[in-house]
Amino acid sequence: MKVTILHLYPDVMNLYGEYANVAVLCRHLEALGVEADVQTAGEDADFSTADFIYMGAGTERKQKYVLAAAPRQAEGLRSAVERGAAVLFTGNAMETLGASVSSAAGKVWPGYALADFTTVETEKRSPADVVAVSTLWEAPAVGFMNKCSVTRGAATPLFSELSLGFGNEEEHGAEGYVSGNVFATHITGPILVKNPDFTDLLIRRLFARKNWTVPERLPVLPHEREAYAVTLRELRGRIGREG
Amino acid sequence: MRMFLAIVVCKLLRFVGRLVGKGSSLPGQYALKICPDILQKVKLPSYIIAVTGSNGKTSTVEMIAAILRKSGKTVVYNEEGSNQIEGVATLILCNSSLGGKMRGDVLLLESDERYARLSFRWFHPTHFVITNLYRDQLTRNGHPEWVYDAIAPAIHPDTTLVLNADDPLVSCFARGHEKVKWFGVDRCSISTEEHHGVYHDGARCPACGGAMEYEFYHYEHIGRYRCPACGHHRQDADFSVTSLDLEAGKLTIGGETEISLAFRSIYNVYNILAAWSAGSLAGVDRETMASVINNYILKNGRMVQFTLGRRHGTLLTSKHENSVAYDTNLSYIRAAKTPCTALIIVDSISRKYFTGETSWLWDIDFGLLNCGEVKQVILCGRYVNDLALRFDYTGIPAEKIVCYDTVAQAAAALRESGNEELYVVTCFSDRDKLLNLVQREQ
Repeated sequence: MKVTILHLYPDVMNLYGEYANVAVLCRHLEALGVEADVQTAGEDADFSTADFIYMGAGTERKQKYVLAAAPRQAEGLRSAVERGAAVLFTGNAMETLGASVSSAAGKVWPGYALADFTTVETEKRSPADVVAVSTLWEAPAVGFMNKCSVTRGAATPLFSELSLGFGNEEEHGAEGYVSGNVFATHITGPILVKNPDFTDLLIRRLFARKNWTVPERLPVLPHEREAYAVTLRELRGRIGREG
Repeated sequence: MRMFLAIVVCKLLRFVGRLVGKGSSLPGQYALKICPDILQKVKLPSYIIAVTGSNGKTSTVEMIAAILRKSGKTVVYNEEGSNQIEGVATLILCNSSLGGKMRGDVLLLESDERYARLSFRWFHPTHFVITNLYRDQLTRNGHPEWVYDAIAPAIHPDTTLVLNADDPLVSCFARGHEKVKWFGVDRCSISTEEHHGVYHDGARCPACGGAMEYEFYHYEHIGRYRCPACGHHRQDADFSVTSLDLEAGKLTIGGETEISLAFRSIYNVYNILAAWSAGSLAGVDRETMASVINNYILKNGRMVQFTLGRRHGTLLTSKHENSVAYDTNLSYIRAAKTPCTALIIVDSISRKYFTGETSWLWDIDFGLLNCGEVKQVILCGRYVNDLALRFDYTGIPAEKIVCYDTVAQAAAALRESGNEELYVVTCFSDRDKLLNLVQREQ
């Protein structure tokens, strides 16, 4: 059993330790006896064999290098999604999945156009701890975001509301995007390390795509659940103090 | 008249503040309210040297002050580290006559990289030293390019920039700026042709986005680079470390001046070189500078020696959310080649603000501890599970790693058993939790 993972732009879109998302997914797959074949690529990416496609956050400038190549890569990514490949874009990589990204000065870059939403960058950054209510799993998601943009028109958000953090359009509002096996969120960093439930959901989707039987109980790796519990406790304490 | 009043109020508040132990930003804040353009009106000395960058500001400024003072100059500088405009105003006004003339030959400022433009709206440095731009406290700083964009508007055309030639992003400040002096380290014993570290912020040219080529790296993205696409490249340095032997703790500046290192780290070498460059530009001779920085021991005390049970310990103060600061200390432990135990503490991520953000743990090259001399790794603090999870991906054998929920538990265990050297890596925010439980050596 083998899963092919395509990690896009690992050298430039890796601002908050995002490589760990791929590492932790591999660890979970290996614990299930699945071989993970990780391929890395940038402008020259070949999407044809990928089961899972990942891109992390970068600086605003580096995101533009990605966007410069997005229109000619869009067809390849779209076909992969139509074949059932799972996609996860985090941080400002999420913005590239939409129709366009505009700078604060008004310059517009077309995106991969896998979704209709559009993003406008702002002069101000909004760094924030995040506690989010997921539309797909029960436990709250935790993490951090460091965005300087507003995304409009994401009709199917990944998180219905945030008790901490900035949503697509406003503080505490709906956040991210999900459609089938395409997942996107502005939460940065190792979101899969911090949220084992999200990792488990992706594993189930990957098994389903491969027509493999999903085990009833997925492996629980050391420290992950404990780390999650501490972060959630700390962040909830913060909500209590603020509210 | 407003200037006179502002200076009087500032001095008075500072005097009262000192009696009750208050910080140094409030007096300046009031003075700026009374006379918003006071920093433009005060007559400043002919040398104004500012230092900014992600790492090494405090150390560099301390060494510049020592060099200038040894040469007989009177130096006014923000030793307390209050580096935003209010603190700078307090410093200047408390050292000014009531007529508005600042005393001293040199005003020396450690400048906050994000707020430099607020201070320098009213006056500008004659020399602006920029040490480096790294990932540092991304929770509030955004990222290095964001910090670059915040510093750029603070640069006045008349200012002489003193730039780290080996940092491709810092070097961009020279574009379109006439007065530039460069410092850099030549190829030496630590240079490598392969990049080391968990991430590579020098992979792309900061000027055009093209793939960057490196002749060699000193560490992270610092080294000798050239962008084939746009030509952005490492400039020839005006001030150079021409040879360096870190193991022996020796370096040579400008091919002739030998310096011994009290702290054998490449980061210390860069701080020394930056201080040397600033001193030189302020007219201090080589002999005087060499006599000061030879074996210079920093007063800001980032390294603390102690005993705990039968162990001798060295605490290497790092900064949470700053992977370069961590990597510095981890490299130091690895280079020491002493059989040892390493203790890592992550309890409160920041002293100044709340965050539960731990992504930065994944940017630190903890794999540096995967060597024979490191016999045991002890992890502790509130975020011990996040640390343990990170260490699961370092290749360090699991049997070498021990976890405790609190610093006290880890200290008790270390006190009770073992006599190996102990190295501790943690942040200002957490270090006293251990230091309160050990016997410090003077």
